Amino acid sequence: MPKEHREEYEGIAEEESMILAVLFANSVGNVLIERFNGVPAEERLTWRSFLVKLGAENLKGVKNEELLVACHKSVYIVYTMLGDVSIFLVGKDEYDELALAEAIFIITGAVKDICGKPPTERVFLDKYGRICLCLDEIVWNGLLENTDKDRIKRLIRLKPPSEF
Amino acid sequence: SKIVAGRKLVGSIVRTSHDLSPSPVTDPSLAMAESSGKTLMDLISADPTPVPAQSTSSSSSSSTPSPAAASAASSMHQPMSTKTTLGEKKSKRATLMQIQSDTISVAKAALNPVKANIMPQRQRQRKKPVSYTQLARSIHELAATLDQKSSQKQLVNHVFPKLAVYNSVDPSLAPSLLMLNQQCEDRNVLRYVYYYLARILSDTGLSPGGGIPTPNWDALADIDAGGGVTRADVVPRIVNQLTSEASNSEVEFHARRLQALKALTYSPSENSELLSKLYEIVFGLLDKFKDYFPVPCRSTDYISCRFQVADVPHKRKKGVFGTKGGDKESIIRSNLQYAAMSALRRLPLDPGNPVFLHRAAQGVSFADPVAVRHSLEILAELAARDPYTVAMTLEKLASPAGALQDILHLHDVLARVALARLCHGISRARALDERPDIRAQFNSILYQLLLDPSERVCYEAILCILGKYDNTERHGMDERASGWYRLTREILKLPEATSKDKSNKAKRPQPLIKLVMRRLESSFRSFSRPVLHAAARVVQEMGKSRAAAFAMGLEDIDESVHVNAFSDALDDAETNDSSHPEGIRRTSSISAGPGRNETIASLLASLMEVVRTTVACECVYVRGMVVKALIWMQSPHESLDELKSIIASELSDPAWPASLVNDVLLTLHARFKATPDMAVILLEIARIFATKVPGKIDADVLQLLWKTCLVGAGPDGKHTALEAVTIVLDLPPPQPGSMSGLTSIDRVSASDPKSALALQKLVQAAVWFLGENANYAASEYAWESATPPGTALMMLDADKMVAAASSRNPTLAGALTRLQRCAFSGSWEVRIVAIQALTTIAIRSGEPFRLQIYEFLNTLAEGGVQSQLSEMHLSNGEDQGVSGTGLGVLITPMLKVLDEMYQGQDELIKEIRNHDNANKEWKDEELKKLYETHERLLDFVSLFCYIPRAKYLPLGPISAKLIDTYRTKHNITASSGSTDPTVVATGISDLIYESTQPAPAASNSSGLDDDLVNAWAANLGDDGLLGNNAPAMSRVNDFIAGGGTDAPDVDEENVFSRPSVGYDDMWAKTLLETNDQEEDDVRSGSSSPDSTGSVESSISSHFGGMNYPSLFSSKPSSSSQTTGKSGGSKYQSTYEGYSSPIREEPPPPYSYSEPQSRESFENPMAAGSGSRSYESDDEEPRKSTGTRFGTALYDFTAGGDDELNLTAEEELEIEYEVDGWFYVKKKRPGRDGKMAGLVPVLYVNQS
Repeated sequence: MPKEHREEYEGIAEEESMILAVLFANSVGNVLIERFNGVPAEERLTWRSFLVKLGAENLKGVKNEELLVACHKSVYIVYTMLGDVSIFLVGKDEYDELALAEAIFIITGAVKDICGKPPTERVFLDKYGRICLCLDEIVWNGLLENTDKDRIKRLIRLKPPSEF
Repeated sequence: SKIVAGRKLVGSIVRTSHDLSPSPVTDPSLAMAESSGKTLMDLISADPTPVPAQSTSSSSSSSTPSPAAASAASSMHQPMSTKTTLGEKKSKRATLMQIQSDTISVAKAALNPVKANIMPQRQRQRKKPVSYTQLARSIHELAATLDQKSSQKQLVNHVFPKLAVYNSVDPSLAPSLLMLNQQCEDRNVLRYVYYYLARILSDTGLSPGGGIPTPNWDALADIDAGGGVTRADVVPRIVNQLTSEASNSEVEFHARRLQALKALTYSPSENSELLSKLYEIVFGLLDKFKDYFPVPCRSTDYISCRFQVADVPHKRKKGVFGTKGGDKESIIRSNLQYAAMSALRRLPLDPGNPVFLHRAAQGVSFADPVAVRHSLEILAELAARDPYTVAMTLEKLASPAGALQDILHLHDVLARVALARLCHGISRARALDERPDIRAQFNSILYQLLLDPSERVCYEAILCILGKYDNTERHGMDERASGWYRLTREILKLPEATSKDKSNKAKRPQPLIKLVMRRLESSFRSFSRPVLHAAARVVQEMGKSRAAAFAMGLEDIDESVHVNAFSDALDDAETNDSSHPEGIRRTSSISAGPGRNETIASLLASLMEVVRTTVACECVYVRGMVVKALIWMQSPHESLDELKSIIASELSDPAWPASLVNDVLLTLHARFKATPDMAVILLEIARIFATKVPGKIDADVLQLLWKTCLVGAGPDGKHTALEAVTIVLDLPPPQPGSMSGLTSIDRVSASDPKSALALQKLVQAAVWFLGENANYAASEYAWESATPPGTALMMLDADKMVAAASSRNPTLAGALTRLQRCAFSGSWEVRIVAIQALTTIAIRSGEPFRLQIYEFLNTLAEGGVQSQLSEMHLSNGEDQGVSGTGLGVLITPMLKVLDEMYQGQDELIKEIRNHDNANKEWKDEELKKLYETHERLLDFVSLFCYIPRAKYLPLGPISAKLIDTYRTKHNITASSGSTDPTVVATGISDLIYESTQPAPAASNSSGLDDDLVNAWAANLGDDGLLGNNAPAMSRVNDFIAGGGTDAPDVDEENVFSRPSVGYDDMWAKTLLETNDQEEDDVRSGSSSPDSTGSVESSISSHFGGMNYPSLFSSKPSSSSQTTGKSGGSKYQSTYEGYSSPIREEPPPPYSYSEPQSRESFENPMAAGSGSRSYESDDEEPRKSTGTRFGTALYDFTAGGDDELNLTAEEELEIEYEVDGWFYVKKKRPGRDGKMAGLVPVLYVNQS
C-alpha cells in the first residue's frame, strides 16, 4: 500500500471504536441488509464473504439467538441465528464481544417484535422497511443508540422517546 | 421465459403481508423461490431487466406465467444462488449497468411531468414487481397526490420499504421527499422521509447503506445533459429545511425536531458551515435547559459552571426507572436533552473549548439514560486529552453523594462502561498529582464498578485497573506494571453512602484480586460464548500486565502473599483512623488470619485451572483466546508441558483457521517482546506450530520469531535457540495418511499435499535461516577466528577435522551436521538451500569449519557421499557423481570460490616464504597484485553471501599485514559503509565486530554482556532496515500495536499489511535505553537503524519474496544496489552456467579518500558512485590511550612516504596504532632525516 494511503487508512482506523458492520443474511448466505461504518469500500466485499462463510460453517443447527463469537485481529464478531435469518455484528474497541452481544440482543428483540416471532425469510422481507427503521434507531453512525424496546417502537413511529 | 420467470419471482417476493389471497397458481413458484434461497435483493440484482418493461405495460399485468415456466426459472437460478455472495459479485456489474439505465429514465421521468406515467392504484395492489425506477416514480406521484389517504398507505407499505433495499437514494427524489416532509401529517410516512433525507445527506460515494449498489447519481446527472439533479443541488435545501425544523420550539413538533436533528448529524463533517449550525442548535437546546438549574451559570468560566452542574437536583429517577406520567414539561425537556446530547456525540470533539466541555458535563445529570451515556462518552474522550479540566468540572459529581454515583445504578450498560473509562482517565492522570482526593474519588467509583452485574462493565473496570488503555510505549509498560500491582494489592471498600441500603455482606472490604478472580471464575462457567471469549481476553490482559510487572522488576510482587492480609490490615486501621475520605488504602503489612490462607498464587492457579478447562469449548475462537491467555499467563519458571500439550492437541484440530493460528504465533512474538527470557520456551512452542500446522502458519512470521528469539536468547541461550530451530530439520518427512501421532508434538502432521508442500517450504526456510545465522549463534567468524591459519591445513583427515570442529564449537558443528544431512536427504529444493547455507557458513567461518565444508562439497560433487556418509565411510568406491543429488551445477561455482580462496592462500604462503627466504621486501607491484587478488576474491565471495569487506580476508589472516601495507601506502581506506545515515545501512556483523574490538573494557565495566548488546543492536538495526518493507514485520508490529481492523482473509489472499507505529521504537527503547553508552559505541560508524531506503537483499527474493530475517542481511541503498549489480555482472560472464539463482548480494560501497587513486583499480563501484562521496569512520585511526614506548626488532625499509625506515634496536615512541601499523616517533632523526611515520606492528617490541 502506498504511504499516503496508509496514513489515510490509519486516520480512519483511529476512530474505529464503533460497530463496524451489521449484516443480515438468509440461510444460504445471501445478504439481506448490511450497514457498514468506517469500513473502506474495498474491504466490504471481503468482510461480507468472511461473515457469510463464518455463518455457513458454524450456524448449522444453532438454536435461535444462541450467540457465537469470532475475532479477527482486534476486531470482534458476534453472530446468531433468528428464524431463517442470520445476524452478524462486527465491532472494535469499546464494541467488544460483550457490547456486541448486547447490541445483537436488542436487534433480535426488535426484529422479533416487528415480525411477531423468529422470522422466516419471507416475513423478514415483508417487514423489511420497518426493520431498517429500527436498525436506524439502534445503531446510529456506528454507535449504539437506543436500547429500550418501547422507546425504539415509539421512535420508528415518529413519537418522542418518552411520552407524556 | 427467463424474463417472465424473473418477473414472477420478483413478484412473489415483493408481495406484502397485505396480500392475503395469493392465487393458487403462484404458490408453487413462491415455494420454489424461497427454497432456492432467492431474496428480494439478489433477485433484483440478478435480473432486473424485465421489471421496467413490466411496469410500463400495465395491461399485460394480468398474464400470469405458468407454474412450469416458474419452476424452470427457479431451477435456472439454482446454481447461482448456491454461490452465495461471491457469485453476486459477478452479477454486480450487470446490475450496475442496469440500474444506470434505470436511473437515467428516472431522471427523465423526474424532468418531464409525470402525468403520463401515473399508474392506476389498483394495478399497484396487484403486487407487480417493482424496480428502482418505478419506486422513484411512485414517490413523485404519491407526493403529488398526498391528500388521498391511500397514497400515504402506499408509501408506508410499499414504496418506502422497498426503496430501503438500495444502497443510496437518488438526489432527484429530494424535492418530493421535502414536499412530503412539509405537507404530510402521517407520522409513519414522515419517519421514512427523515430516514431517506438522512441517507441523501450521508451519501458521499461511500455510503454505509449496503444493499443493492446504486450508481453515482451525481455522475449520472452530469451525463444526462438535460440537467439532472445532483447532491449539490439538493443538500442545501434539505439542510435548510431540517435546521429550521430542528429549531422549531413548538411542543407538538418536538418529536420531529428530534428526527430532524438526527438526520442532520448524518451529513459529512467536512461541511463546516453546517457543523457550526449544528453546534449552534445543540448548544442552544442545552442552553435553554440551564434555566432549570437552581444556580444559573454566572459566566462563561467553566469552573464556576461546575457548581451549577453539580447542584442539579436529582430529577433523573423518573427517567431512570421509566415511570410514566411525569409532568409533560420535564419529559419534553428530557427528550430534547436526549436529542441534543446524541447529536453532540456525533459532532466532532472540540477539546479545549470550555463551552463544549460544560455542555457535555451537563448531560451527566440528565434524566434520559441514553443522553447520560453520550455525555459520559464525550467526557471520557475529553478526559483522555485533558484530564485536569474534566476532573475540575466534575469534581462535585464524583463525591459519594454525587451524580456519578447514581450512574452506577443506571440501567444502561454502555453508560457504565463510559463511566469506567472516565474514572480511569482521571484517576490515573499525572496532571492531578496535587489533587489525590479527586483521584481517589474517581478511583473509588472505578473499583465499585467491579461489582457491576454486567460482565461488560466489570471487565471494562478490570481492564482499566490493569492499565490496558495506556498504549504509549514505555509509559504503557509502567501503567501495566502498576496496574498489576494495584489489582493484586488494593482493596475495595464501599463508601458509606451506597452501602447503607445494601446488604451488610458487601460492606466488608474486599481485595480486588479476589473479587476479580471470583468474577472470572464464574464467567468461565458461563455458557455464553461471548462471555467466555471476553473472560479469556481479560485473563490475557492480566497476563500482559503481570509480565510487565515482572519485566519492570517491581519489588513486592511476591505472589505468595496472603490476599486477605490487606483487608485485615485495613480493618484494623478502620477503627482508629477513619479520616480518609477515599475508600482505598494500601498497606503492606502481612498478617494472615487463620483459615484464610489464599495467596495470589493460589488464586491464580485456581483461575488458570478453570481457564484450561475452557479449552473444551466448541468454539474455536474462544479456544484461541484461551490459548493466548495461557501463553501470557505462562511464567518463565513454571513447567511448560501442560501448555505444550494443550497447544499441540488444539492445533491438531482442523477447525482452526489459519488466521487464528497465526494470531497465536504473533502472540508468542508479543510475549517474547515482553519477556525476552522466555525465548527458548517460546521457540519450543513455535516448534509445535511448525510441525503441527505447517500449512497454516505464515513462514515469514515464524522466521521472524526465530530470529528475535535467537537474538534475545542471550549468549547462553543462543545454542538452545538454534537447536530449537534446527529441530524442524530433524523431523522425519511427513507420512501421508499417518494420523496416529495426533498429540505427539514430534510428529509432523502434514497429511495433505498442501501442508506437505508448506512443510517443505518451512524446512527450506529453516535451512536458510540456519545458514544465515549459524555463525551468529556460534559466534564464529572467519575474521575473528582464533585458529592459526596453518592449523587447518594440517588436519586434512576428515575425522580429525570433525572432532576438532565439534570440540571447538559445538553449536556450529551441530548446525553443519544438520545442513549436511539436508544437503543430500531432503527434497531437491531443500538440498539447494542447504548447499547455499553451507557455502555461506564456509565463507563466514574460520578453520576448520571452512575446510570441513569444502571437503563435504567436494565429495558431494565427486560423488560417493551418500554411501560414505550413510555407511560410515565404507564406500564401495563407485563413483555416483553428482547425479545422485542433482546439485552439480550449483556446487561447481561454490566450490570454485572456495578453491580460489584456498589457491590464493597457498600462493600467498608460497610468496611469503619466498620473500622470507630471500629476505627481500615486497615490491609495490607484488603488493598490488596481491591486493587485486584480495579485492577480486572479495567481490566474488560477496556474490554468495554478505561479508564485512573491511574485515574479511579471503586470503587468510596472514594476508592482513600485506594488504594493510598496500592500503596504507596508497591511502586506500577500507570501509564498510558510508556514514551518510540516509543512504547505507551496513551489515550487522560490522556492528558486532566494531563493538567487540575497541571497547571491551567499557562493556565489562557496565556488567552488561556486550554480545547481547550487539545482538540487540543487530536486531534493532535489522528491524529498522526491514522496516516497512517486510510484510511479516509489519504484521507483527500491527498485532502488537493492537491494530488490524482490516478485512479478514477469506481465501488466503494477500493480507494488506497495515502500518503501525510504536513497536520498533518501544522495543528499542525498553531494551536499549539503559545502555546508551554501548549503543553509541555500537552504532558509531554505521548508519542509524532508522535509516530507511532499505532494499530487500536480493537473496530473499529467491524465496518468492519472502523476507527471511538474517542477522547478516545487509541492506544497501538503492544506489549501491544498482552499482552492486553492475559489479556482479562482471562475474556473470565468468560463471555462466549457474542454473540456480545467483545471489547478487551487492558488495558494500567502497570508499576512497583520494579520488585520484581510483583509476589504478578496477572497481565495480567506481561507475555508480561518482555522485556520492563515501566517508569512513570505520578505519579512523584508533588512538590508544597514553604514549607507549618500544624498540625496533628488525630493520624496516619504508615502502611509502608515510612509512618510516627502522634500524633494529632503535628506540621508539608509539603514538597510535592503526590496522597493524604503529605510528611511531624516533628519538632522533634517522639517516633519511625523518622523525615519524608508520611501521608494522610486528617490527616493534613494545616495552
